[in-house]
Amino acid sequence: MNFDSRKYVIISFFIITGLMYGIKLFYMQVVDTDTWKLEAQRIAEKRIEITPPRAVVFDRNGNKVVENKTYYNLMMVEEDMIDFDTVAFGKLIGMTKSEVLERIEEIKDGEGKYYNPHTKKKQSNYQRIRRYPFLKELTTDEMSKIAPHLDGFKGFYKEVTSMRNYPYKSGANILGYLAEVNQAEIDRDKFYKPAYKIGRAGIEKTYEKEFRGEKGVKYIVTSARQNTVGSFEDGKFDTTAVQSKGIVLGLDIDLQAYGEKLMQNKKGCIVAIEPSSGEILAMVSAPTYDPNILVGRKNINEHYPKLVEDLNKPLFPRPLASEYMPGSTFKLIQALIGMQEEVIKPSTGFPCNKSVVGCHNHAYATSVTEAVKHSCNPYFYAVTRRIIQQGKHKSSFKDSEIGIDIWAKYMHSFGLGVKLKTDIYGLRSGNIPDSKYYDHWRGKGQWKFSAIQSISIGQGEVQLTPLQLANVASIMANRGWFYTPHFVKSINGQGPRREYTVKNRTMVDSKYFPYVVEGMRRCVHEPGGTAPMARIPGVVTCGKTGTVENFKLVNGRLIKRPNHSVFIAFAPMDNPKIAIAVFVENAGGGGGTWAAPTASLVIEKYLNGEVKSEAKEKRILDAKLSLWQ
Amino acid sequence: MRKNDSITGSFDWILFGLYIVLVVFGITTIYSVTYNPENPSIFSFSEMYGRQLFWVGVSLFLGLLVFLIDSDIYRKFSIPIYLFCLALLVIVLFMPPINGARAWLGFGSFGIQPGEFAKIGTAILLSSYMSSFNVKQQNGRTVLVSLAIIVVPMLLIILQPDAGTFVVFTAFFFVMYREGLTFDPIVLKVVNAIPGVKFRSTWLGTHFIPILFVVIFLLIITLIISHTTLTFEAYPGEEFSGYWRMFAALVVTALLGYLIMRSLFPKREARRALIITIIGFSMSVALTATVHATFESLPPHQKTRIELWLGIYEAEEGTGNVDDGADYNRFRAMTAVGSGGFTGKGYREASIANTKTNHVPECETDFIFSPWAEERGFLGSIFLVTVYIFLLLRVITIAERQRSKYNRVYAYSVAMILFYHFAVNVGMNIGLVPIIGIPLPLFSYGGSSMMAFSIMIFLLLKLDSQRKDVLN
Repeated sequence: MNFDSRKYVIISFFIITGLMYGIKLFYMQVVDTDTWKLEAQRIAEKRIEITPPRAVVFDRNGNKVVENKTYYNLMMVEEDMIDFDTVAFGKLIGMTKSEVLERIEEIKDGEGKYYNPHTKKKQSNYQRIRRYPFLKELTTDEMSKIAPHLDGFKGFYKEVTSMRNYPYKSGANILGYLAEVNQAEIDRDKFYKPAYKIGRAGIEKTYEKEFRGEKGVKYIVTSARQNTVGSFEDGKFDTTAVQSKGIVLGLDIDLQAYGEKLMQNKKGCIVAIEPSSGEILAMVSAPTYDPNILVGRKNINEHYPKLVEDLNKPLFPRPLASEYMPGSTFKLIQALIGMQEEVIKPSTGFPCNKSVVGCHNHAYATSVTEAVKHSCNPYFYAVTRRIIQQGKHKSSFKDSEIGIDIWAKYMHSFGLGVKLKTDIYGLRSGNIPDSKYYDHWRGKGQWKFSAIQSISIGQGEVQLTPLQLANVASIMANRGWFYTPHFVKSINGQGPRREYTVKNRTMVDSKYFPYVVEGMRRCVHEPGGTAPMARIPGVVTCGKTGTVENFKLVNGRLIKRPNHSVFIAFAPMDNPKIAIAVFVENAGGGGGTWAAPTASLVIEKYLNGEVKSEAKEKRILDAKLSLWQ
Repeated sequence: MRKNDSITGSFDWILFGLYIVLVVFGITTIYSVTYNPENPSIFSFSEMYGRQLFWVGVSLFLGLLVFLIDSDIYRKFSIPIYLFCLALLVIVLFMPPINGARAWLGFGSFGIQPGEFAKIGTAILLSSYMSSFNVKQQNGRTVLVSLAIIVVPMLLIILQPDAGTFVVFTAFFFVMYREGLTFDPIVLKVVNAIPGVKFRSTWLGTHFIPILFVVIFLLIITLIISHTTLTFEAYPGEEFSGYWRMFAALVVTALLGYLIMRSLFPKREARRALIITIIGFSMSVALTATVHATFESLPPHQKTRIELWLGIYEAEEGTGNVDDGADYNRFRAMTAVGSGGFTGKGYREASIANTKTNHVPECETDFIFSPWAEERGFLGSIFLVTVYIFLLLRVITIAERQRSKYNRVYAYSVAMILFYHFAVNVGMNIGLVPIIGIPLPLFSYGGSSMMAFSIMIFLLLKLDSQRKDVLN
């Protein structure tokens, strides 16, 4: 028998094997290589993101207002834990044995859960070789007690982290606070990972992108035991983390602190603006809180619910979001619109006819200036009537519709009834009623000036935020224009946002302002003016008081509450450095009683650096007004 | 009788060239895989590459020695050599185990693996014995003795235990097959017992050994492909189940097999090729279906055991990291191979398969194909596969031109052992073969295997160079 042909069987074996392997290799390395490359990346390459520290914040004088403070996390790696003495460890960190074990269990199934799209279930991706925080956010003091003993507990390490610190304890509502990102934020923005911090309020929220800086990325090659073997392709793709150079605020932190002190035991707000730039010098919302109590998870968990439940609403940013009737301060704008619309002249006088609307006793207002000084209600009733009903239509109803829309347009140009584009979240627009508004509430053709006359003296449907009113003071100081009030003076040394360098002009010509401004001066400095308590020795202050009647709905009935005391001012009269609005809620008395002296103290502090009017200061500091105790 | 010029005159330079190519690429790959920047010289003996270079030197020296000694010596002393190998295999069982196996015989700081050398001893004795009778004298006794020569070292090796080398010894069955070993009498007895059937010979009995191996291979590959945890989408959203892929693979294999047989078989046997293909294909499909049905009907714990052995066991859901599954090694090696792409990541740029990252364990020995494929890509891996296939075919060519049966049996032994090592090693790197730890011949790190394969090939070169002197 000849078995030579059997060699073909063996040769076939070789060749078929070779072909099979060739085809499989072709499939793996050419057709399907992307799947494997992805897998290789997952296995061996690690992309480490380096997050730069959050930007620090300076005030206008270079004081560090927000800084980063070092904290520690106590990290745990189960793989390295050998002879773990839970009792001794618990003693060291102030836990019982069972608490320690509980925490470990919690880490094992809680930390780092992820959604597995294959199994369509949430799975724990806990790994024995990874680091997990056992205790978070320990202070240096707390850590210094633990750290020396950590050598005895294998598998525990300290890790440095940083958190916000507010050395001045002021400006909570401006600066805002940080909190851990939520899932929606993580999904929306790739920057965030679980446990990252994000600005939740204030400028921390507005300027989140500038605050967080730019992440650096490092690609490393890792071994099967997750050790770093080296940088990937000699760091060809690595980028460095860029920390923001710092954010400079227009805020004067000392003034802010002083304002907060003045407003202690009161509800209300102070907003001070530098008229020439629109930079906000101080924005006090009273009552307030120390921003340091909302730093870190522990603090937030402890204090946040208390702040939310507090009846005085310390978290509510009143200057931005509280809408008040402006009261008599509103008359300044009525006078300006009247002159611009040429329904009155600067020299126009009206009798103080108390039968139309109530007023106090004062000399006859022979001009706009005098009317402002005396804050004559009937005068401005007459002025506003002329603005609203200009006789452009023979029906007084139709005429009012046309008139109020012209009036509302003027108001919008003063930043009223519209949202100011200030760089902070939580702004409200206030309310400037127009024809649509009244048509809605009263019915079309159902109203004319006589029905809505309280708007002429800043009551009724008119509502403004203190920020808007401070901006009005700023407009007065500038005689007709303003920069949108803003907090951030400079980002990375490049100045403010572009929109804050654009001058906004009101629809009232500059030439009409001096008449009103002079009235404001007389208001403070002349006998018979409404705000003598706003006088500061050596400073010419222009101001206007407001006394706002307000009601509260109690058990279905409107109860009259003590008046809000309101005052707006700027100083000095020439070359103004500061414009201010002060609200003291339910203070009782008039604008001149509480708001005016408070404003003057802030102005004095800002212009002179110190306050000499000690008696005035003491009176304000001691006052306890309208707080829920 | 012998002419002195026969040393160079009939020397097979092609085989020698292929040997050198593999050794050179092998050592450069080891250098890349185990590179240590502190000892960058390839001669630094504290590193694997330095040691491997040393072993290559020793191997070349031994090869030269083998070449200079009269080849008749091996034939004459085939029994003592074989017994010496068996003795080493017995002694090694009393050595302390390394990695769970008593495979190493320590000489000072060096160790050798007697299992590697036992292949040579067995090959020499088998050649010597099988050439002592001719085909017509073949009977039950000769078959039994031949089998005994193979099985005794196998038993000693499985005691170590070293499953890889154990499997390699089955290569000798193919050698016996080539030399006419047939199971036809047994098969005929069974078949002819059926009333009315009277066969003079059966195809199954004649080619029993290759058929058995094809069946086993298909069985394994069926289980691997159809139960693997790796799933690929043919196109987005359309995943193919393992069995459909298996069927497609069978169709392709059948077509290719037919074409190859057509080109290899003499013209008059063209119909036979078609019949073999059809029968083979239908049997494979039937087998696949049977394997599937059988496997699925097994109790879960037995299924798990088989999956573990095949290396396709997936870690149970919820037990944590899937990386800890037994699929780990093969999956990592496949990742290295697949991520190499068409042109590879470049020399010393492998991120998965190197000893520093250690994502592929044993990537300087059992998994050395994966760094090669990762660094050189498809071009490199197809090149290496081609080199090995050429090497195998060259050895067959050499085998078939021998005048003496002794030489031919020996050459076939070499061819089949090389084939086993190549097929298993590369196969497990690309996920076609279960994880069986045996080195890639002339390529993997390891002194014993390098020396054993060198001696094997140089002995073949020696026998071949003297083939014209042999009258028998």
